[in-house]
This record gives sequence, C-alpha cells and structure tokens, in this order.
Amino acid sequence: MRNASDRSLPKGSIGAKIRKIDPTILMLIVLVIVFSAIFPDRFLTPLNFSSILGQFVTIIVFALGPSMVATIGSMDLSYVGIWMLGGILVWRLIPVVGAPAILVYPLLGLATGFLIGVIQVKVKMPSFILTLSLLVAYSGLTAILSGGYPRIVRGYDFLAARLIPYVPTTLFWSIPLIIVAIFLMKNTKLGAYLYAIGSNEEGARLAGINVEKYKILTFTISGLLTGFGSIVQFKHLGGSVPIALNLNNMTLPLVAIVFGGTLLSGGSGGPDRTVLGTLAFVTLYRGLFITLLPPEILQLVVGLLLVLAIVASSRGLKGVSIT
Amino acid sequence: MNTATPVIELKGITKTFGGVVRALNDVSIAIYPNEVVGVVGENGAGKTTLMKIMAGVFPPDGGEWYYAGQKMSFPKHPREAAQRGVAIVYQEKGVIPALRVYQYLFLGHEDRYAMSLARLKRDEMKTYAERLLREFHIACSVEDFMYNLPPSTQKMVEIARAILSLRLEHGGDDTASVVILDEPTAPLNIEERQELFNYIKKMKATTSFILVSHIMHEVLEFTDRVYVLRDGKLVSHYNLSEEKVTEEDLFKAIVGREFIPETRISETADVNREEVVLVAQNLTRKGSYYDISFELHRGECIGFFGPTGSGKSEIIKSIAGILDFHQGTLFIKGKEASSKEIPHTRLAKGVGYFCGETEKQLFFNWPVRKNISIVNMESILRKRFPIIDFRMEKQMAGKIVQKFKIRTPSIEAECQSLSGGNKQKISVGKWFERNPEILLLEDPTIGIDVGARRDIYEALLEMKERKIAIILVSDDPKEYSMLCDKIIFLKGGRVQKVLSSQEFKEVIAT
Amino acid sequence: MAALDLRKLVRGNLSTITSLVAAVIIIIIFQATNPFFLSPAGRVTLVYAMSYFLIAACGLTMVIVMGSFDFSVVSLLKMAALLCALYMDAVGLWVIPLALLVCGGLGFINGLLFARFKVPSFLATLGMSVVVEGMALYLSRGFLHVIDNPAFRSLSVTFLAGLPSIFYWAMAVWAVCIFIAFCTPFGRRIFAIGGNPVAASLCGIDVVKTRIYVFMMSGLLAGLAGILYMAQFGGGSIEIGADMSVPLFASIVAGGTALSGGWGGPHRTLLGVILITWTQAGMSMLALGHDVQLVVFALIAIGMSVLTTDRGSLKIVK
Repeated sequence: MRNASDRSLPKGSIGAKIRKIDPTILMLIVLVIVFSAIFPDRFLTPLNFSSILGQFVTIIVFALGPSMVATIGSMDLSYVGIWMLGGILVWRLIPVVGAPAILVYPLLGLATGFLIGVIQVKVKMPSFILTLSLLVAYSGLTAILSGGYPRIVRGYDFLAARLIPYVPTTLFWSIPLIIVAIFLMKNTKLGAYLYAIGSNEEGARLAGINVEKYKILTFTISGLLTGFGSIVQFKHLGGSVPIALNLNNMTLPLVAIVFGGTLLSGGSGGPDRTVLGTLAFVTLYRGLFITLLPPEILQLVVGLLLVLAIVASSRGLKGVSIT
Repeated sequence: MNTATPVIELKGITKTFGGVVRALNDVSIAIYPNEVVGVVGENGAGKTTLMKIMAGVFPPDGGEWYYAGQKMSFPKHPREAAQRGVAIVYQEKGVIPALRVYQYLFLGHEDRYAMSLARLKRDEMKTYAERLLREFHIACSVEDFMYNLPPSTQKMVEIARAILSLRLEHGGDDTASVVILDEPTAPLNIEERQELFNYIKKMKATTSFILVSHIMHEVLEFTDRVYVLRDGKLVSHYNLSEEKVTEEDLFKAIVGREFIPETRISETADVNREEVVLVAQNLTRKGSYYDISFELHRGECIGFFGPTGSGKSEIIKSIAGILDFHQGTLFIKGKEASSKEIPHTRLAKGVGYFCGETEKQLFFNWPVRKNISIVNMESILRKRFPIIDFRMEKQMAGKIVQKFKIRTPSIEAECQSLSGGNKQKISVGKWFERNPEILLLEDPTIGIDVGARRDIYEALLEMKERKIAIILVSDDPKEYSMLCDKIIFLKGGRVQKVLSSQEFKEVIAT
Repeated sequence: MAALDLRKLVRGNLSTITSLVAAVIIIIIFQATNPFFLSPAGRVTLVYAMSYFLIAACGLTMVIVMGSFDFSVVSLLKMAALLCALYMDAVGLWVIPLALLVCGGLGFINGLLFARFKVPSFLATLGMSVVVEGMALYLSRGFLHVIDNPAFRSLSVTFLAGLPSIFYWAMAVWAVCIFIAFCTPFGRRIFAIGGNPVAASLCGIDVVKTRIYVFMMSGLLAGLAGILYMAQFGGGSIEIGADMSVPLFASIVAGGTALSGGWGGPHRTLLGVILITWTQAGMSMLALGHDVQLVVFALIAIGMSVLTTDRGSLKIVK
C-alpha cells in the first residue's frame, strides 16, 4: 500500500521525499522534534535518553516473538506468563542447581510456545484466547510457587553491570535477540512462508507449504525469543519476580507491534517493524511522561493510542473475515 | 501423436468426498508430449478435483498413475508432483498478495537457494526471477508486491511460477512436463489472453499444457484434444486435428441432455409495460461492466448472457447490494437506490438474491425449518408482540418441504445431512415463500442433478407467473431460453446486443 | 432400539452431559470435604458467588454465539461498580441509569469499532478495556469507596425465601436472554451471523447493526452485573482483576457454547457458571487461594474449548 502511494507522486518534489520515508520513522522524527521543542530542558537530557532506552528494552524483549506470530495473523499473549513463571522457577531452582537455573527461561519459553502451537493447530482454538488462558494459568502457578510474596533472584549481576554511562547494559543483551529475529524473517525462507500463511493460508497450502508445521514453528520461536527476552527483562528490572498480573505489561508490547505498522490480520510487518514501533512508542510515552501528566491520564492515553493504532492498522482489510 | 508414450497418464481415477458425494468415477486421461489438452465440463463435473489429484493436492480413492509409461504411486505433495513434471496454476486463491514477486516465484522452493544458517541467496534468486520475467514479457519488478500488480500480471506471474517450479524440481529444461491451467483467462482482457495463448503456443515445443476452461472458443482454437467431464465421468473425447467440432457439439456433450421435455417453457408473458419495477441507467463499475441500462417490468424476466468474465455476475451482485457501482443510477420501484446499500436494504425494497452456491445461502448446522424461515421472519411473528410463532414456522417449513418434495427425515433434520439437490431446493423454497417483487438468480441450478433441476425450474416458472420480476445470470443457455423474455448479450463488460427470447432460441439453435 | 437412541442422545449432548456430571461431582466433592458447602449459609455464599457472574456471562454468551469475543466485560463491570461508589452521594439512585448508560455507550463503541471499522473484535475490546481501566483509575484515584445507601444495597441483599434478591435478578436476566435468543427474530439473527456471516448477509440480515446491538447488550449486562455486585458488597476495593475474564470465558465454554459461533446459547451458560463459581466458592471455603483457582479455570477454559469446537467445519483459525 505504501508503494502504491509512492508511484502517484511526482518524483523529486519535497512532498514525495517526505512521503517516501517510512511513516513510523516519520512519526519518530516528528515526536523527537516536537518534544525537544516544547520541553528542551526535560526531553533532551541524558537521563531521559537513558529512560527511553530502558523502556525500549522492557518492551522489545516481549514484542519480538509475538510480532512474528502477528505476521501469520495469530496472537501470542503468553509472554508475561513465561516471564513470571520462569522467574519463580529460577528462584526455586537456584538453591538446587546454581547458576544454570537461568536456562529455565528459554526452556520454559520453548515448551510453552510448542504447546501453544500444537494446541492451536490441532484443536483449532483461537490463539488469543488460548494464550490468554495460558497466561492466566501461568500467573496463578507463579503465585502458588512463590508462596505469596514477590521474590528477588540474586546473582547474574553481570547481565546488568553498567558499562557505558546512561546506556542500560541490558540493551546490549537484547540486540542479539533483535538480530536473530530479523535475520529469521528477512534472510531465511521463514519470512516468506509466514507472510504467505498470514496473507492467504489456503494459497500457501496449495503452494505446497506445510502450514501446520510452520504455524507450530512460529509459536515455538516466539516462545523461545520470549524466554531469552525474559532473562534480559528480569535483570533489567532488578531481578524481581512479580506475582500479580499487570494488564499494562501485556498491553504495551501489543501497542508497540501495532505502532510499527504490523497488521494484526497477518501478512505484513515483523520484528524489524516492531523495533521501529517500539522506539516510536517509547519516545511518545516518555514525552507524555515528562509533561507531568498524572499516571491515570497516561494510562488512558496509552489505551486510546492502542485503539487508534488498531483502527488505523485494520484499515484496508477488505474481504478479510473477521471474528 | 498418439503413437508416442504419454508424459502423464491417469487410469481409472475414482474419488469420493465425505463418503457420499462421488466427485470422480473411473476417469482416465493421458497427456502426450507437445500438446495442449482441453478439459471442459459444468461446474461440479469434477474438473478441479481431477486436476488437484494430478497436482498432488490430495490422492484419489482408486486409480493408477503412469509417468512416461512407468507406473508410479500418486504424488502426495505438490512438490512431489512438480518433481514428476506436473505443476498447476489455480483458478483463484493461488496468489499470495503479501509477497514480493521474487518471493512468490520461489515460494516452496527456497531450499535450493539456502546457504549456511538457512540464509537465502537473495541476489541470485532475484537475478533468476528477473530473467524469467523478461522471458515471459511480464512488466513488473521482482521487488513489487503481488497486491500492487494488476490481476492480469498476477496471473502471468502465477504461470511463470508454475513453470519455474518445474524447472527447479523436475530438471533444467521443460521437456516431459505438464502445466495445468485452471480457468487462466478469467481475469485477463482480450489482448492479454492473446498474449497468453501465444506464449503457450511457443512453450508447446517443450512442455504440454492442460487448459481447463468454460470459454468454448478458446478451447476449440487453442487445444489439440478435448476431454469432456460430466457428473464425475468422462463422457467424450475429441481429437480436434482429426474431427471438426463446433461449439455446439461441445456444449451438448457438456450439458449432456436435450431439453427436458416435461418442463414447460415460459410463454412470453403479457408483460405490463406500464409497471416498471427496476430501472438501471448507465450503471458502471470500473473493471467489471460499463454503461448498463435496462428497464425491468413486473412479471418480466431479463437474462444477462455472456462468458465468464463478461461482467454478468458483477451486474447482478451490484443490484443485490453485494458490490457497489461507480457511476449511473439505479431506481427500484421508482425510488433511487444508493450504490452503498447492503443486501438488507435492498431486500427491504423488494429485491431478493438467490445464488446456487448453497454455502452462501444456507446455515448447514441449522434444521430445515430455521433455514426456510430466516428470510421470512416477518410472516411468522405473532400479531401482538414481535416474537416467533413456532407453530406457524413449522407449518411454513412443512408446506415448502411438501411442495418441493424435499427428501428429509423431518423439518428438524440438519441441512448438512441432506444431498446437494435437496439443499438447493431448501434455498429456492425459502425465496419462493418470501415472494419478493424482484428476484435475482445467479447460477440457480449449479452442480445439482437433473431431477432436482426440473423441480427448481418448475418453481421458478411458477414464481414468474406470480408476476415476480426476475433477472437471470447463468452458464446454461437452456435456462435463458426457458425463463427469459429478453436476453442482454454482454462482452467485455459492455452490452453487445439485446435479443427477444425467440431470437435467442434461433441464435442458440444455429 | 432404546439403547441405540440413548447412545445417540448421549453423543448429541456430550458437552451438556459433561458439564452436568462435572457439576454434580464438584458438589459431591465439596460437600464431602466441607459439610457447610450446602448448608443454608453455604447456599447463600454460592448464590452470591454466581449471581453477578451469571449476568455478565449471559451478555458475553450472546457475543460468542455471534462468533465474536468481548474482552471488555470485566472492565465494564468494574466501571459500573466504581461509578456507583463514586457518585452515589452526589446523584443518589440516579447513578444506576447513569452507569447503565455509560456501559451501554462503551459497548456501542465496541460494536462500532468491530462492525463498522472492521477491527477484529477481541482486539477492539482489548483496546477498549485498557481505555476503560485508565478511566477507572483516573476517576477512583486508587481510593477505597464505601456505599451505605440502604435503598441501593437492598437491590441485591433483600432476602426472599431464604435467598438474596440478586439471585432473582440473575435468574430474570438469564430467562430474558434465553427468550431473546430463541423466541425473537433478533436472536435468530445472532445465531445466523455466528453460523455463516456470508449467508446471513445474503438473507437480508443487517449484519453491522445486529453486531452493534449485541455488543451494546453485552456492555449493558456487564454494567448491570457491576451495579448489583456493588450493591451486594457495599463497596470496598473492587477485587476483580483482568484475570476474571478467563473464569468468565471458561464458564461459557464449560456450558457448551462453542467459540466458533452459531452454536450453544445462554441457556447453557447457567450450568457453566454454576460449575465455575461453585468450584471457586468451594475452593475458597477449603482455603485454596485465588491462584490455584486461576490455574484450574484456565485449564477448564482450554479443555472445554477443545471439547466444544466442531473442528470438521472449521477451515482456518487464526
């Protein structure tokens, strides 16, 4: 759709040049300029820069996997569950097995993703209800295993030891995840297959693609990415393991995915778009935050943004059956 | 030619769906090198099923597969079929809009371009894709998204993809391979059709083609041999180089029945020229039809006649409110109807739409009773309070079941348990009961047997006698000569000529 | 012959029988482990636990029968409860129509986003629920609120024949929903859209309008449930988290309404709600915490969806 609008514009004009820029990048640039102009003393500070990067990490590690799932038109909401349950399992296992306990995160992510994939494909249960149910089950399990108190996992400090001032070290740990996700989508056949399944599942099957296998694979990869992301996340947030489900943790990665321009109906977008979307959203969020809006209003604004972004990204879904 | 060994030969193919519907019954076909073979038949005759078996989409229940004279098992997978030299271009649903052209061309065959870490040699893929596009004279870039291409280019890319998959899987050159084209020309305009067939003629030197088509003159002009399927059986086979076959011969073989004698032919009704129920003025839907004007009178039946892709189906859908139109005006009973109206609004104005595809008409998990009453809610409500009167609903359903001789255990039986003909009768029955002032019919007897057809024709004639105005769109000329008072010939979305029913019969007869 | 018919009957009503058997089993288990379970006091607890839940579940059932999903029921329920607590002092009992209006309006927006703007329903309602939570947070500012208006409280806690009035409200709503679903053309249209949206549109049903009405209905019932919930508890912190949507959803599929739409109905939901809320109450009486309950309900939700989905007729599920 972007390309179509490009062609109708005369070449060389400034309007055409601006329109050629990706809308998410454009939004990012505009946001930075606007906030810098209005609050130069608060927005253009190293501290704010650091906060933006910090929040970027929080969101991106959960948004990468689900954004791959979104390209096949499904939903994966299980990320917060993997993070919570994984954390409490690590806390339980550290006294027993020591430092390797951290590997519980990716293993749990892998197993969860595979389970979701198999159930979704074999049972044909809508993925968002399935993953939501699993999320709730995991949060319940976390609370049971924790004994009712939020727990702190000690150790693994090297993950978050500050190397460069104002730049969270966890950012460097999230970069390999981002690269792997983008590599899978851009440089292997997986990207084309997922787009094909998301845009025309019947057609993909007729082209000889084993749709069920790739759907399961997608959920599994998403779970695995979330599992590794959870390692980054848990140290990023100071090693604490939450035991109560927070709606915001679940919503923000979704907002970031939608902000990046990934259509939730499938067939477009992916992790690369989500990185941009997360940056744009975090900039906006921090910009609103430094306006000193009360937190209640901030949440309201986030909700409205989500609705608007979803409406905008659902436009042009002609002939797509909706549920 | 027949002395050579066939490239692909299928013998005694049988296939049933769901244990009930026999889609193919003992069908044998052979494809020789360097020929174009036509496969024709009505909708539901089994053409697509046969092609899908050949292309490895699903295996048959019984039969044998020979490749270059050697017996082999049936391909279980489209790629396996491609390795044996068979590729297919689907009528619809084959295009994947979200992919770039080169991604689509190589879809399913990426493994040949994988390096370490499953990384793809994208530049190599693109170069090959570019060469292929040049070879086919397809005007697009390999980086274009499929959804940005016009439908005709999409079709060309699809055909290129089929040939590419053969080259990759079957061997470097195109010899001893078969490409199946299922209704390839539907989205193409005339010049593009010509271009496509020119290309096929050139390719014939190395590859064989199967052309599945509804368009008779194309089949006669461009194929060497024709197989005719009817109700899952192979009924005729013509070798066009040896015998002279006309469109009419082919047509008779496809339909397989002379006119059903028991069915009455509608007398050209004494249409009251004063009472106009529907007027179309210069209706235009870009890309589908242009400047369509006509007047429909009470009790009159107008038919739109033309090949698939002539715009007839879009015209009737626009009148039903399923599609919009871009220019012109539509008056229903004297009042102008906006192009944005939905079927609900049109039905409230007295326009009912009936099409032969039962999955668009019926709720399969519902009993017969509810399926009949769904369009007749107003007439089964209690007088005082608008709730459903179940007694009246049962009476209505019972009446229709009896009148149409619908074979069902009871009016409470679920629709999905009934046969195709009986399902069709239910959906005709509900409109019969509704009795709209204007009824739009699209392929009213698609894919059902002769007996059920006769009952449905009877009902349609009775509705016409009840002074319902009808617009008909169908693939079967017999239906036009039976029902219509006026037939509008369409070609390329424009009116070519308007014939009376008498003139139409003469045209069909010659 | 009789045996054959019986087998057919069992096969045709498998999900109903499963739920019924499950309900009987949990009653027996909890009665055995806790003799107070079915005592008069225990009965009142059970009725309190299921009533507001049933009202909200009826609305959601209608949406699911239509083949869609409403994630915002819990948020709207909280919103209505909060509005009652906040504005009872200012406007008195007028707060009830006010809360219903707000929830109906939010339901309308849900419907509009889904039917008119073609946003997948669970996403539209997920977004709306974030907005509503934000509004609720803003309005309440995190404080606790208590209602001591006796007229308002009497809505739910007046005892008739040994049971509180909220129970009769719930049964009345349930009956009305069954009536709407099966005796009115509107109900028939809901099932039609859930079963086959294309055919529904071609049969002259105004799909967009019907969808909006159903989402409004779901919003209104969520609002009503919230009001009665507030009248029942009399205030305090509203102990409903976003995770309540899973038990709510579990109760509907446990009743036998399929997620694929067009099948089931509100009459089945009563059984599912009894199954879920009584399990909840029984577990609470056995001092099994909220966490254990969540795990159990999530598993019931997944398990029952597996049982009730008619996989043969579904081609593509995202």
